[in-house]
Amino acid sequence: MHSNLSSPWVCLYLMPIFLCASLTDVHERHEKHEKVYSKNNSGLKPRLVAENVLTHFIYLLFSCFSCLSWTVHNINPTTLIFRMSTDTQLTDWRDKALQFEQQINQTVIGLQPAVRNIILAVFARGHVLLEGNVGVGKTTLLRAVAQGLGGDYQRIEGTIDLMPADLIYYTYLNDQGRPCVDPGPLLKHGDTLATFFFNEINRARPQVHALLLRAMAERSINAFNRDYYFPHIQVFADRNRVEKEETFELPAAAKDRFMMEINIDMPSADTVLDELMFNPRFHDTDQLIRGVTNSDIYYQLNELAQTLQQLIQTSPKLHTYALTLWKATHQPQLYGIQLADVEMPQLLMAGASPRGMSYLIRAAKTRAWLERRDHVLPEDLQAVFPVCMTHRLFLNPMYAYRKEQLLPELIKGILNQVAAP
Amino acid sequence: MKIVLILAFSLLGCSGSIDEPISYFNVETPRPFGYVNGDEIPQRIIIETRSGITLQTGSLPAKGQINRWLNLNEVTVKQTGQQYVIDLRYQVFYAPLEVKSLILPGFTAQLSHGEKSISQNIPAWSFTLSPLRELVVRQTEQGEYMRPDSPPILLANTLAMYGLSASLAVAALIAAYLSFLYGFFPNRLRRTLFKQALRKLAGLSKADMEQALTIVHHALNNLNGQPLFYNQLSRFYRRNPEYLQISSQLDWFFNYSNRYFFSAGMITVTQDLQQLTDLCERCRKIERGSL
Repeated sequence: MHSNLSSPWVCLYLMPIFLCASLTDVHERHEKHEKVYSKNNSGLKPRLVAENVLTHFIYLLFSCFSCLSWTVHNINPTTLIFRMSTDTQLTDWRDKALQFEQQINQTVIGLQPAVRNIILAVFARGHVLLEGNVGVGKTTLLRAVAQGLGGDYQRIEGTIDLMPADLIYYTYLNDQGRPCVDPGPLLKHGDTLATFFFNEINRARPQVHALLLRAMAERSINAFNRDYYFPHIQVFADRNRVEKEETFELPAAAKDRFMMEINIDMPSADTVLDELMFNPRFHDTDQLIRGVTNSDIYYQLNELAQTLQQLIQTSPKLHTYALTLWKATHQPQLYGIQLADVEMPQLLMAGASPRGMSYLIRAAKTRAWLERRDHVLPEDLQAVFPVCMTHRLFLNPMYAYRKEQLLPELIKGILNQVAAP
Repeated sequence: MKIVLILAFSLLGCSGSIDEPISYFNVETPRPFGYVNGDEIPQRIIIETRSGITLQTGSLPAKGQINRWLNLNEVTVKQTGQQYVIDLRYQVFYAPLEVKSLILPGFTAQLSHGEKSISQNIPAWSFTLSPLRELVVRQTEQGEYMRPDSPPILLANTLAMYGLSASLAVAALIAAYLSFLYGFFPNRLRRTLFKQALRKLAGLSKADMEQALTIVHHALNNLNGQPLFYNQLSRFYRRNPEYLQISSQLDWFFNYSNRYFFSAGMITVTQDLQQLTDLCERCRKIERGSL
């Protein structure tokens, strides 16, 4: 994966260490053979000299290469061994991730782009909001992902009468008729809670959104006079875009805490639709989900994501490109973006937030890793820009009723206008 | 007393009878002279009747030929209350050798009142028709006998022409500016994109690789109409299929640029700049249509 760490270069980097050892070794051999030569066999002398000259020459050659590569690549050989092991680790993980993606794609067919985005969010450790029509496979997809990742899983259905306390505890009468209080979905698994799936999130009240806001941003909540931490929590939420009655629009702050908002559209290919209709495998969702192998990788994801984010490089040019994209989300008119029937300076109320941009870079780095690169390219940013940015741009109320049309056009316009380099 | 009686009888004589079926009748005719062959002669007949009396339009002369030299081109009848306005348009086809008096024939308009029929006589109308030619052909006169009228003196229009020219010039300028704004000229500019890029590349060395790459990127972006990235090359080829023949060089360029700008540890050699110039030259040939 790492271009600097390919096997020929590795040999060159290690040479200075070998050189020191070899010089000592040659010296010792020379002394030893000198004694043997002087006592026993005069015919051995030329052979010994030739051996020593050859050894010195080879080590000298390697040393030169090593110095050269060190100078050029600026990598300390002592850090190399660590990098090699990390590199191997990342390669193994990437294979696992791609295998996982393939498995999900076989379980939920026709949703490849959405699956890729979810994989990116999982390995970048970001929360995901799914939006789509009814019955297109949102819940099945998330259940399949949760099953495949392993870890403790909880879900809750959003309803209009759901209150924050319902997430924390529930009360009931036990067999003896005594009132009992048990932990709710959030607290049930304690700090091992992994995937938390909030179905129909827009049906829940703003009070519930507020509780979720902290759980998502700080991975902790306060209950029973103490803080509970969920270091591994990843929130998946979904909402359907058909019904708007008796729903509560997610506040901007809550939306911003989601790394991605992924639209799940119905598959369009006839073969896929045919398969979904007639193949009994897709009729029983529970059985379908049970077929996903539990890879049990979930609790290592935080560490992996941290390593990955540190190792994937971003160049100054890419920083400039990302910065320009960010500015364009605030003042698109300055970058030559024009939408039909829109007064561009009045279009946006708010552009992307710093948190949003950091999520964008995390997702882009994860994509670069999945694409077997050690550096981020503009195409990585472009690939994740729509899913990371669309829900962070807030239109002026005057244009809000056209947001379904204007936001994708604006995102496309930004990507089409900003050049790199 | 005698005088009073005379006046009373006189006034009685002037007033029409109350039972008269036609209360008003008039034939309006134009001047009775100054007509030549082919002229149209309009005639308007106004008839006002008592209530209950209707005009029988069938009694009016029919459209078409009246006699050998007279045509009736149009007959229109307009009724407003009890007033009928009959417009007749005759056309004369008579070539007299001298001024001749002719007569538009009269006719009788029929009006009906229940089962009763009332007639109103439209009198014939006399007018004079003049010849178009001279009476005597002057054989001795040189040249053509038939000659056109002398042309009328034209009004001075120099100022108007100047104004029109100025307006057209301004309109053309505005149209050109609008075309520019709407982007109708990019093809013209696009034909020199790589020419300009080559000119800029000419003075650059290996050390200026960043600038050189940026120049080629800008040229490709301008050609594409928007920034062009490696992953969008297939769409670019669909729009500009002529560049498909240098796809391998473009692949090299984008890969090289990506490594140069976005990954660490890239070493540039002089050959890279040469390869970049080669790419640019091939693009130039394509834009000139010579490849």
